[in-house]
Amino acid sequence: MNLNRYDYFNSNNYQDYEFYSEGPQGRIKKVVQYTKIPNAYPPAYNLAFGDPDPDTGELDDTAISNNHDRDIVLATVANTITEFCNHYGNHYIYAKGSTPSRTRLYQMGITGLWEEISAVFEVYGLKDNVWWRFTPNHINYEAFLVKRK
Amino acid sequence: MPAIEKKQTIIKGFGPGIVSSDVKSHANDPFVIKKVKEAAETIQRVGLPGQKKK
Repeated sequence: MNLNRYDYFNSNNYQDYEFYSEGPQGRIKKVVQYTKIPNAYPPAYNLAFGDPDPDTGELDDTAISNNHDRDIVLATVANTITEFCNHYGNHYIYAKGSTPSRTRLYQMGITGLWEEISAVFEVYGLKDNVWWRFTPNHINYEAFLVKRK
Repeated sequence: MPAIEKKQTIIKGFGPGIVSSDVKSHANDPFVIKKVKEAAETIQRVGLPGQKKK
């Protein structure tokens, strides 16, 4: 994958990542956090992605940054998956937006970078309680699983 | 003396990040806890690829 991405910082346990989106709306902090999902076997990790509240620090993925850098942000998140896998192994990574429209935005991002993403990751989309191999089409998936090849 | 602002860098291709003690853990963030709970419920319900539903 040879995409433009932002430089980022990570915690020393490689479960928390921070970077800044830059664009017309300014410099917006982004956080990616990985947590092991209880009772999942083989092991799977949840990917949480959002903007920390400036006052409380709590994450929120409902904000619309509109910073015109979606592909760079997605490539940065994809890079953190690779970094995470370098330290924890190639496990399933689960991701879902907080709302259907947010999940749809994730899908549009994956579709836009599909050629590069599919070269590095297996991607599955959840539809009607079944995991399907992700295909860039008009199906609205409900969640995603990503696994580094 | 003007303040020096660290500029964000755009990099091409994969590479490691910078380990920083300033990166705080969000493992106990209510948003993360909620997302992990939902993920666990979904995987309990539908399994993982190649697994039969429970």
